Amino acid sequence: MQNGWRGGQYHPLTEDALLSIHEGGLRLLEEVGIEVNNDRARDILARAGAHVQTGSRVVRIPRRLVEEAIRSAPKSVTLYGRDDRYHLVLEENRVYLGTGGTAVNVLDLDGVRRPSTLDDVHLLGRLVHAMPNVHFYMLPVYPHDLPPEDVDVNRFYAGLSSTPKHVTGGVYTVKGVRETIRMAQIMAGGAEELRRRPIISFVILAISPLRIDDLYGEMLLEIASAGVPVIVPTEPQCGSTAPVTLAGNLALFCAETLAQLTLVQLVNPGSPVICGYVGTVTDPRTMGYLAGAVEMGLLNAAAAQLAQYWRIPFYATAGMTDAKVPDAQCGYESALTTLLVAMAGANYIHDTAGLLDFALTMSYEKVVIDNEINGMVLRALQGVTVDPEHLALDLIGEVGPGGNFLAQAHTVRHLRREFYLPKLSDRQPYEDWVRAGAKDTRQRANELAREILAAPPVRVVPEEIERELKKHLPNLRVDRRTS
Amino acid sequence: MLELMRKLSQAVISGEVETAAQLTEQLLAQGASPQEIIDNGLLPGMDYVGAQFRKGEMFIPEVLLSARTMQTAMDVLKPRLVTGNVPCQGTVVIGTVQGDLHDIGKNLVRMMLEAAGFSVIDLGIDVPAEKFLEAVKTHRPHILGLSALLTTTMRNMAAVIDTLREAGIRQAVKVMVGGAPVTAEFARSIGADGYAPNAVAAVDLARSLIAS
Repeated sequence: MQNGWRGGQYHPLTEDALLSIHEGGLRLLEEVGIEVNNDRARDILARAGAHVQTGSRVVRIPRRLVEEAIRSAPKSVTLYGRDDRYHLVLEENRVYLGTGGTAVNVLDLDGVRRPSTLDDVHLLGRLVHAMPNVHFYMLPVYPHDLPPEDVDVNRFYAGLSSTPKHVTGGVYTVKGVRETIRMAQIMAGGAEELRRRPIISFVILAISPLRIDDLYGEMLLEIASAGVPVIVPTEPQCGSTAPVTLAGNLALFCAETLAQLTLVQLVNPGSPVICGYVGTVTDPRTMGYLAGAVEMGLLNAAAAQLAQYWRIPFYATAGMTDAKVPDAQCGYESALTTLLVAMAGANYIHDTAGLLDFALTMSYEKVVIDNEINGMVLRALQGVTVDPEHLALDLIGEVGPGGNFLAQAHTVRHLRREFYLPKLSDRQPYEDWVRAGAKDTRQRANELAREILAAPPVRVVPEEIERELKKHLPNLRVDRRTS
Repeated sequence: MLELMRKLSQAVISGEVETAAQLTEQLLAQGASPQEIIDNGLLPGMDYVGAQFRKGEMFIPEVLLSARTMQTAMDVLKPRLVTGNVPCQGTVVIGTVQGDLHDIGKNLVRMMLEAAGFSVIDLGIDVPAEKFLEAVKTHRPHILGLSALLTTTMRNMAAVIDTLREAGIRQAVKVMVGGAPVTAEFARSIGADGYAPNAVAAVDLARSLIAS
């Protein structure tokens, strides 16, 4: 897990194209500017030398500020799980795949589509914990059963207490951000400890085209000051909030994510920041957001390439579908985008497990299906190992013409590493498949998920820490099943 | 003249703004009345666009461009229109409800309604119920259109309808609602007269609400 998998085999942009887009992004910031609706943030940029037009909130940022920020931002950011196996080293073209959020519905194991709850955050966390090809837990759903002021800290705690994998999430209020950071500091053993080994990270979006929201800006400053890793993506959508052309969309991405990066580095130079992209194309019949379009994969791949040029860790999006159920469309849309983006070498690829229905719904079955897709994608990244041992020329000579390799020690030695061994895919001969119940992918995924969730939950957060947390955070809810 | 009318319809369909304006001038010069130009030149073009959109063969940006083309032609005709000769399919007051700042969808509906010959008063975004009430009293529209993009703000649609009822003028206007989280079921539950899933359907709905 520490080393991750290496992508970078697929880079859709030529060097000229990449430089043009990058230059376009810098020019947008210098000539058009970005509207910064948070007063403190705008002030910080102005004092650093950005130009604020009088009577306007539009800030034009000279490229030297951006270039300085790219220089000062760490080239490598490690996100920590509460177990060495789950640390993620975000740098270069190392690839990790995880869940994403925030959906407002779940499609549960009884086939019911319903509003999501805090319990879903617990259950999905447990499911994700059992998925080897889902490397981190981004809080996937919104807990409609909680009052708004309790959402942030409880979403994060539900994640942290259901899996030892790293937990990331979006946030809703400044108070929520503060409580969540405080909770994580207690769990980590102090503010400095959390900075050294961050067990959580946050996502704060810019709003296309060219806007930083007041509240989001405030939360960004709060997180940056605390030195907690912050992901600063943007979501330009071709045809509505970005030009219909992919290149124009990418230029906006550069401007918007780099503006946020610059702000974070001005607030706290050297603090960990992860650039990001959640953009896509729209459905021209409605101008609505599309989660499963192949262009989303392509755009994310190009964005990853740009981040590698900047040498900044990068958060990308893949693995979703606009299908409403785990059917064929669900399979092909999810697989194509995950493969493209992983092969581009994006570091922290979210949304790759469970999301369907334009990212509005989290499907338990799809988590299991996507784990399989992810496994195949990671095998593709692993590539072809070529050396004398793998060429096996001597062995071929020994076996000779007409022989076979079934019982060779070499075969046994390499089998499990050379082959991806699926957990979900059906490879039985027809009659066996019929005899086993003639189940399709969705049914098998359903059974696997039920099996995993039927197991007694394991306590992830030690009881004494949970008690300590409840003292400081009276609105904290715990999963009764682990108590 | 028939040929020019046909070309004008085509200009609307293709979104050729300059051409449409020029053809409109030419037709006026040849003696066509504004009403004839609208009925035989502009509306057939927009009707085709609407039909193609419903079939999924023309898309929103194209529809928007056609609507803008028709609007440009209407601007050429406006000075020639004598009061009373204003061809009006109906009057609509439209706005995004309180607490909601989204307007792309509302603007599209406005443009499509205007392109279809409706007179539209757009109250903008974040409109409180009282302001909708005032506008209904002032403009006496046939239809009140309410838009919302958030599940949290669509509740304010019910507040608008209640405000009309309390003022005793609920029956004086037909209320139609729309926006991404809005559904036909929701529309029924709050006592609206209709729901449309997109801007083209909104025009169809407006026409049928006025006819009824």
